[in-house]
Amino acid sequence: MTMPPPQAPPPPEGAGGGAAAPDARAVPVVPRRPLPPPRPEDRQRAPGPGEPPVELAVPPAGPRTQNARLQDGINRCPRCGSTDIRLKVEGGLLRCGYCRNEWSEARVEERLGLGEGIRDLRGTLVASGAQDIDAAVDTSLTIECAGCGAEVVIDTDDAMSARCHWCRQRLDVNRQIPNGAVPDAVLPFALPHAEAVERIRAFAHARRTFAHARFKAEFQPENVVGVYLPYMVVDAQISTRLEGVGEVETRRYTRGTKSNRRTYYDADVVRVRRAVDVTVDDLTFESSAQRSNLDVHRSTNNIVNSILPFDTKNAVTWNAAYLAGFTSERRDQDVQAMHPRLEDQLLSIGRSQVRASLGAYDRGVRWETEALDVHGTRWVAMYLPVWLYSYHHVEGGVGMVHYVAVNGRTGETMGSIPLAKGRLLAVAIGVGALVEAIVLPLVALGVLSWGR
Amino acid sequence: MHADALVAVAAVVASSDGEGFLFALLAAGPATGIAIYTTIYRRYRNQDKTHVFEQETRIAPGPVRGDDAKVDEVRGTRRRRIEGDVIDQPRQRVRRVP
Repeated sequence: MTMPPPQAPPPPEGAGGGAAAPDARAVPVVPRRPLPPPRPEDRQRAPGPGEPPVELAVPPAGPRTQNARLQDGINRCPRCGSTDIRLKVEGGLLRCGYCRNEWSEARVEERLGLGEGIRDLRGTLVASGAQDIDAAVDTSLTIECAGCGAEVVIDTDDAMSARCHWCRQRLDVNRQIPNGAVPDAVLPFALPHAEAVERIRAFAHARRTFAHARFKAEFQPENVVGVYLPYMVVDAQISTRLEGVGEVETRRYTRGTKSNRRTYYDADVVRVRRAVDVTVDDLTFESSAQRSNLDVHRSTNNIVNSILPFDTKNAVTWNAAYLAGFTSERRDQDVQAMHPRLEDQLLSIGRSQVRASLGAYDRGVRWETEALDVHGTRWVAMYLPVWLYSYHHVEGGVGMVHYVAVNGRTGETMGSIPLAKGRLLAVAIGVGALVEAIVLPLVALGVLSWGR
Repeated sequence: MHADALVAVAAVVASSDGEGFLFALLAAGPATGIAIYTTIYRRYRNQDKTHVFEQETRIAPGPVRGDDAKVDEVRGTRRRRIEGDVIDQPRQRVRRVP
């Protein structure tokens, strides 16, 4: 509420309320200089409907991220020819179960030069594993077993390999086809199952007091599942511009006596403008429509989101053998569908980057407009490793899956535990009543002392 | 001794920022109950947790440009912060311009 200005200089009355000389905390006012003009010719818009994004064009031929050494079906150990290949979590290497040969696929960071040239990005560059999904392409693949000739169906919605029913050879999906199943890169699990179980157990144990009784009875952290979730990792070169109004407190004083005492503020009103160019490296977000819905009233997907970031610089070229023993989810969103979320996050990053220049505005800043020029982006699809414990809890006839998630690389853990709301409410009311019982006599004494 | 302490507290109540403080004291019980409920609810459900991409992503900013021009003064307001303050809410969108 804004009061009418005082008729005279603020009266020097009341303890601590004396109006001193104006505080010299006003922001130094400098002559207005024109902000750098926007560069509309550099601005990058999202690809329109039906408009294919530009293929990633650096290096010149464009990085086809398909692992040329592998094919759909049987893939053998390079030393002995066995197909019994699995990820050895400790060390993150592929290991042949027959001859113990260990090896790794190449890191995409160096192979594709992803850490370089972000400042010079122009246009929407999309790696081959992040290409648009063709709805006509089936997500179930039929692969002929090279061992016995049987046909095996693999549903890529949740698996990238299967055993042949007849000869028990493992068949992998390694070829990039436009159904979102095979990404450009995969970041292997580095955190063993046992450690994930312990982290989930500790997380739930620390919250046992008000946990729902049914959850406590049915809690089985050993059932945690290792799952590779689909993400898009984006590099971007952007410019943001902001305009708004800030206030700097110049004086604070009190007026009135006893019950009518009030604190008032004087302030300078300053028009604030800021612009900054920003290079963003490996901004990561979900490329599954279901996972990217962070509405906390309908799901606990925010839990999975909160264990980001991953060390995406260590992602390696796709090899389905990394997924053996784990489950996976398929990407179902295109670059175009994710562009609004990207722009929203880039705007937030721009606002954060100018925050340090606003220290003088101790009464805050009201931004009124913001602009974003996306000069260039580079999109790479990745599978990232998550240990996921799920618990379906029904409350008031409405069911919700509560997750406890562990980052499969860093071990960062976050979760949602179903609450015994009745018990929590009883404790909150009890403590509140106790505090009120202590406070009421003090209030009564205060009122009485006013009356004197 | 106990009575002296109560009188001292009463004096603090009476000498502070008027009835606002008195009402704040009266609301201490309900406020404590609500604070306990929301704090524990938040600790268990973690609905406020998301990836803090503004700080946890590798970002290389250029120099921040801009200017500040004093355009007005506010006198005798009781508001502690500017109306519509979003200085620390980078995810709260404002009007987007080209």
